Amino acid sequence: MTGRIGIEALNVHAGFAQLSTAELFEGRGLDRERIGHLMMRARSIALPCEDPITNAVNAAAPIVNRLAPQDKERIELILASSESGVDFSKSITSYVHEFMGLSRKCRVMEVKQACYAATGALQIAAGYLASGVSPGAKALVIATDVSMVDARAGYAEPATGTGASAMLLGDDPRVLALDLGAFGAHAYETMDSARPMPDHDIADVDGSLFAYLDCLSNSFADYCGKVSDVDLRTTFDQLALHTPFAGLVKAAHRKLMREQARATPDAVEADFAARVSPSLVYPSQVGNLCSGSVYLALASLIDNAPYRGTARVGLFSYGSGCASEFFSGLIDEGSRAALAELDIAGRLNARIPLSFAEYTELLAENSRCLVPIENRKIEVERYRRFLDARPDGREPVLAYRGTEGYHRTYEWV
Amino acid sequence: MDHSDIFEAVRRNLGVVVYDLDTTTVTLDNSLADLGCNSIDRAEVVTLTMEDMGISVPVMEFQQTRDIRSLVALLARHSA
Repeated sequence: MTGRIGIEALNVHAGFAQLSTAELFEGRGLDRERIGHLMMRARSIALPCEDPITNAVNAAAPIVNRLAPQDKERIELILASSESGVDFSKSITSYVHEFMGLSRKCRVMEVKQACYAATGALQIAAGYLASGVSPGAKALVIATDVSMVDARAGYAEPATGTGASAMLLGDDPRVLALDLGAFGAHAYETMDSARPMPDHDIADVDGSLFAYLDCLSNSFADYCGKVSDVDLRTTFDQLALHTPFAGLVKAAHRKLMREQARATPDAVEADFAARVSPSLVYPSQVGNLCSGSVYLALASLIDNAPYRGTARVGLFSYGSGCASEFFSGLIDEGSRAALAELDIAGRLNARIPLSFAEYTELLAENSRCLVPIENRKIEVERYRRFLDARPDGREPVLAYRGTEGYHRTYEWV
Repeated sequence: MDHSDIFEAVRRNLGVVVYDLDTTTVTLDNSLADLGCNSIDRAEVVTLTMEDMGISVPVMEFQQTRDIRSLVALLARHSA
């Protein structure tokens, strides 16, 4: 058995364009009083030359490119989690494996369980690494998705993002050392949201909120059943939760504090500010990244929370349908240094702001991203000003340039 | 469990969640949305009431509730 297992590197790619929440509310004629309830500032918007594969590669490349060749060779498992599949049979991961130039001695596959899938993949990968069957092995877990919301989504439209979170797992967990065995799961079939077609999402907003809150209480109870002497207030120095929109995380924290700690409203508010709000800085600028969302929240927490020394983080992942898990791990000041190398905040700030009119023009094209078409051409050059605006401008990014005989084609820009 | 006890719990929790609501005006015919509850507020009112009354209801059954009368009836059915 191995000792410490966890996240060695974590990166988020959240596109090259953004739309402010105020601009979208104005454009759609939504009730501005509800901006406060969403707690959103902006969301990432995809370009037609982006898809789940470019998102995955552009999130993972800065991690993989920093590895020594002998470490890169030890990536033996790649799991992409997505609710934005591009084919019924062929996985997103097969393309990612190719463009990352990874070893051919590698397990490659895709997993799906709405916004939970990356956590399931992470736990399966961690179990493999901890089993000791291949000492020193590494695994790449990438949560990647694109948004399919439009005006029909109502208030979910301003809260939905696009992008990917990539994590390298191994026995040198510089970012987060998992508390192996400390987890609680809760799952059951329900129809709260789904993507029945490649260009259309459906959601029962109330049903999804209930299921999220229900799963949080029940997965936390299962965690407490497996780990002795858990106290919500003292066991976890920080919390990072799946963030469909920041306002829901606030309600979820309030519910758990009331149930577990009998906390007064003032105590809940102070606790939220200290332990949860650092995790919402990036999500409120990006929107929901589906199964990458909780890892965007973790990155936000590490970059923004003023913790010192070692801190235990409680994490909650929820995916419609539904499945959920509460688990935990340790971060330290090395986590902050590891994330700083990738400058997630700098890349979020470099996203080019769109007007509402520019956004709706892109939306029509983006809605075709996952629709199976035998041949299609994308003029990557049209989007060059977006792709060139990134702060790490000289590091190439992958762009989707169309489909030939159902084979998706890409180029490095 | 008595419907009136559950209604009183719903009314009390509406006051907790919607600070500026005069709860004396709340009737069984109102919907939570009419009373100014957004989706998170609605979830809060229902979960607080379930906690107060020690009731557990499968989450998707709330889809059928349109007004406070049907919400109270649903909670009462699961309190037996």
